[in-house]
Amino acid sequence: MKDNAINKPRSGIGRLVEIAQEQRILLLVAILLSIVATLLQFSPFVAVYVIVAELLKNAATPSSIDYNLIRQWGILALLFLAGALVFLYAGNMCSHIAAFRILYHMRVRLSQHLAKLPMGYFNRQSTGAIKKNLELSVEKIENFIAHHIPDLVGAIVLPVVMLVVMFVLDWRLALAGAVPIVLSYLFQMFVFYSEKGRTQMEAWLKIQENMNAEGVEYIRGMPAVKVFGLTVRNFLRFNRSIKEYRDVTLGITRTYKHAYTSFFVLLSSLLAFIVPVAILLFSGQPGNQALGLTVIVFLVMAPGLSIPVLKLMYLGGNLRQITTGTDSIDKILAQEPVPEPQTPETPEGCSVSFENVSFSYSDTDASTRTEALTAVSFEARAGEITALVGPSGSGKSTIANLIPRFWDVGSGSIKIGGVDVRVIGTEKLMGMVSFVFQDVHLFYDTIEENIRMGNKGASREDVIAAARAACCHEFIVRLPEGYQTKIGEGGTYLSGGEAQRLAIARSILKNAPILVLDEATAFADPENEVKIQQGLSSLMQYKTVIVIAHRLSTIREANNIVVVDNGRIVGQGTHDKLLLEDGLYRRMWEAHINASAWELTADELRKGV
Amino acid sequence: MRKILYNITSGEPRSLIKPSVACLLDGLCKLVPAVLILEIFNVIFAHFRTGLSLDIKRMWAVAGILIGWVIIQYIVYAWSYDKTYYVAYEASARGRTALAERLRRLPLGFFSSRDPGDLTTMLLGDYTLVESSISHHFPQLVSGLVLPCIAFLCLLFVHWQLALAMFVALPVSILIIYLTNSFQVRLSRSHIKAKVDAASRLQEYLLGMKEIKAHNLSGTRFERLRESFHRLMRESIKIEGAMGPIMMGAIGLMRAGLTLVIFTGAYLLAGGALTFPVFLIFILLGTRVYEPLQIVMVNYAEIKYATISADRIMEIQQQPLPPSGGGLPEGNRLEFENVTFAYDDHNVLENVSFSIEPRTVTALVGPSGSGKSTVTRLIARFWDVQGGCIRLDGRDIRDIDPEKLLSRISIVFQDVYLFKDTIGNNIRVGRFDASQEEMEKAARQACCHDFITALPEGYNTMVGEGGCTLSGGEKQRISIARALLKDAPIVLLDEATASLDPENEINVQRAINALVADKTVVIIAHRLKTVKGADNIIVLDNAGVVEQGRHEDLVSGQGLYQQLWDLQQQSAGWRMKAASLLKNAR
Repeated sequence: MKDNAINKPRSGIGRLVEIAQEQRILLLVAILLSIVATLLQFSPFVAVYVIVAELLKNAATPSSIDYNLIRQWGILALLFLAGALVFLYAGNMCSHIAAFRILYHMRVRLSQHLAKLPMGYFNRQSTGAIKKNLELSVEKIENFIAHHIPDLVGAIVLPVVMLVVMFVLDWRLALAGAVPIVLSYLFQMFVFYSEKGRTQMEAWLKIQENMNAEGVEYIRGMPAVKVFGLTVRNFLRFNRSIKEYRDVTLGITRTYKHAYTSFFVLLSSLLAFIVPVAILLFSGQPGNQALGLTVIVFLVMAPGLSIPVLKLMYLGGNLRQITTGTDSIDKILAQEPVPEPQTPETPEGCSVSFENVSFSYSDTDASTRTEALTAVSFEARAGEITALVGPSGSGKSTIANLIPRFWDVGSGSIKIGGVDVRVIGTEKLMGMVSFVFQDVHLFYDTIEENIRMGNKGASREDVIAAARAACCHEFIVRLPEGYQTKIGEGGTYLSGGEAQRLAIARSILKNAPILVLDEATAFADPENEVKIQQGLSSLMQYKTVIVIAHRLSTIREANNIVVVDNGRIVGQGTHDKLLLEDGLYRRMWEAHINASAWELTADELRKGV
Repeated sequence: MRKILYNITSGEPRSLIKPSVACLLDGLCKLVPAVLILEIFNVIFAHFRTGLSLDIKRMWAVAGILIGWVIIQYIVYAWSYDKTYYVAYEASARGRTALAERLRRLPLGFFSSRDPGDLTTMLLGDYTLVESSISHHFPQLVSGLVLPCIAFLCLLFVHWQLALAMFVALPVSILIIYLTNSFQVRLSRSHIKAKVDAASRLQEYLLGMKEIKAHNLSGTRFERLRESFHRLMRESIKIEGAMGPIMMGAIGLMRAGLTLVIFTGAYLLAGGALTFPVFLIFILLGTRVYEPLQIVMVNYAEIKYATISADRIMEIQQQPLPPSGGGLPEGNRLEFENVTFAYDDHNVLENVSFSIEPRTVTALVGPSGSGKSTVTRLIARFWDVQGGCIRLDGRDIRDIDPEKLLSRISIVFQDVYLFKDTIGNNIRVGRFDASQEEMEKAARQACCHDFITALPEGYNTMVGEGGCTLSGGEKQRISIARALLKDAPIVLLDEATASLDPENEINVQRAINALVADKTVVIIAHRLKTVKGADNIIVLDNAGVVEQGRHEDLVSGQGLYQQLWDLQQQSAGWRMKAASLLKNAR
């Protein structure tokens, strides 16, 4: 299904119709009901005509007026109107159900697709912008499906039917009525197709995306905003984008001002077109009563003609918005997901080996650092600890991120148990590897569920056991609702260390054979550090452990220390071997020893005075 | 009613005046041709009644006015178009800015108790509804109600019985809508809830993508998101389905007025109590007079909906701001006096008293959950104390304007948030008007300069959202650079040295030394060794101060500090060992 969008990329209305196809039966029903409703809605005008005609015909002899006929049409007008409302409601429900189903499927599809994309995509795109597309751009489609399709059908069918009837009666008057309607359609087309409108609408969507991205940042960065006294006014970009959004929106309304005004005025002035023609016709034959009746038909019915067309007032502009929105949805769908193997293989062992791996963050976007790995080869054997050390920005984290295929290698290969990670299959691969990241993300859910993420099927006891092993249990039971405490709601605030321990508990629960620790002990509390270390020690047993650590002392006894600098491996071996080599590792070790001796003293302060 | 007007315009009810007047004028303009055309009917009627030829001249006069009216209508409409949109977008831009500013002034504690996704929806999504309320829905409501009233009053003079027949059902249909009001509000509330819920689920799904991938959670997490989308769909259909019959009923009832007019008219005509031209006025208007009201009814759900969004916005606007008083005192001595503070009835600090002398280093130590971070957050007034008070140079900090107070304080958090902007601007967050030189100097002192200049565009390199393109240590140093640039006399360090690179650790330590020189420093540190030299070490446990003093005194005691110190000595010797090695060791 997804490939449709990629194979024959469509845009504009064609794409919208393609989207609508998903619910075509419901929509066809909706369209039929809407046609009936529109025609029935016209009934009061017919009734009024019949009554007026009856009264006119008998104007000279009021006693022969057929009052039964008048009352009959009065009732008919009401019945037809009631019928119109029923059909309207039924059609409306069909089109709305279709629309909401389409919206739902679209959102599900988009979010599933997002989960398959490489992490690089999320570094390039701000959450706010993606979110905006899933919420607003998708929501706009509702307008097209639920409102525009039935409205458009009504606005075409009624004038066409009426004009046909009118042409039969008198082509000259019909022409006079048709001119403003056709003209008004042209104005809508102008709004939709105008080049200026297109560029403006694109600018509008862009600025809307920016405003969303900056709004999300503003809220998330609130601690920094407050502490540094940034006000909205000098939190410039957000403020600027709010203003820009306003200006661009006003610019758009200004562009369409005359088109919209003409559309509106034309449709409310059908009479101004019909009356002069009628008078001209009368001038030739001032005594023709039949012509008088025909003219009455037009005068009574013309205002009714414009009602469904007026609903199209914002059609052009809205369609513009909707199609530009679907374009950005399609852009997300067109992103290549991480390729899945055709025939997944299951690795035998659990050693991880890098063979001549080179990698660069392919995006040229300046917001992403192009930090490359060049010809990296090493092996992390099962049951051993392999440490990655090196200055910041040297590529340690990149190495760790390549193992679970957050990105794919440029050249060379990464193998687990001799099988290339690219042919293992994402689910299997993720099942084999456990991570403890330096920045832990907790979900707005209970603490228990946050730990259970490690293993969906875990029992309550398993969760608690894992929490105990990771030294979380104590602080969790101290929380007002213990394991059922929700994170992020109701004021529950966890410190960095606590969050980190929850992440360790997750990994203990997951118990995967390969463990990647990215600066995992960074936030440990002094009191619990020993316990966490014990927790980690038990977690690490019999596993392939790849660890990125700050404190070199903690990895002194690793089986293999891989020293990374500038994306290359500049040394590997045991601590003792590397110390002898007089390279980067030795310099780092010496710096580490000095740093460990650091203390913040009052003397330092006095020096500053 | 006033409250609704106030809320729906996010506090600017006056912004509704112009669009409403414009919409009303517009509606009146539209009625004019309908009245003019009556004259044409009369001419034709006279022709039928008398058999004389048509009064063509009279008809041309009407046609002339009709055509002239088109121009007037164009001018009026163009004018009202401008007014309406300008006012609406201006008001929403102002409202957004004001809400953002309001959010900023709320205590930070507010943010940890709110779902950020919800706040974002409010700031961005809910305001679009305010825009359309101002530009469309409300003015339409006004003209939809006022125009029929005007018509009714005029028609009363023409023929009161018919006028009554025409509008007799209207109060009933308005009553129906009014009576079902609470039902509609309930529906809209649960719909908005479903919508906000979906937005929050989506936000956490996107922000937690890395964990989701790593833990194979595309299934479960996704299930939660899918469920919220599904609930949104159900709620949307429900609201549409339930509101429809109410509105259709009300519309049907209202439009029955035409039939009533026809019946009454037929009766009166037959009895000779009514003339044809008068009857004509009523049945012609009867096809059109309900149109504006019908539009209102169709849009009524949206108006209700917007009102609820507006209420949500106003709820934030009306959140109490932390009380703020006057300016800053001279000195920097901080004093806690019997401070008590609780989250959700859970006391974090209880009757805590201590003082922090200017230009000294005070360390806070203690097990996690002992309230260390809370102490620093209370100093910065993220929350206000619930008992006792905190004084700065003798003045209760609640009497100091929070912004002024924060201008005196630099904070380096353990979790650093960087904005999606250039690195240079991210450092400038510390002091907005710093020159390039000052900014680079701060970066040098914080040991950021080298890694920044190694980036493709140096200080102009864009940082990914939340700082995701930088390592933890790099982010931390940027936050130190910010604090250096700010150069405030009070420095709060919350586990600031936690994630530093070994190679740069010593440099960063030097940077911190530069930062804290000559300052009043409160530091929370993991490694007790780091704070060994502090002038005063305050040991917190179980929501209270258990001991304080210098390292030498505390370590020779038998208290908590001594225990913690021993534990640390033990953990400092910890090394990761492979299972095989562990076994050998046994």
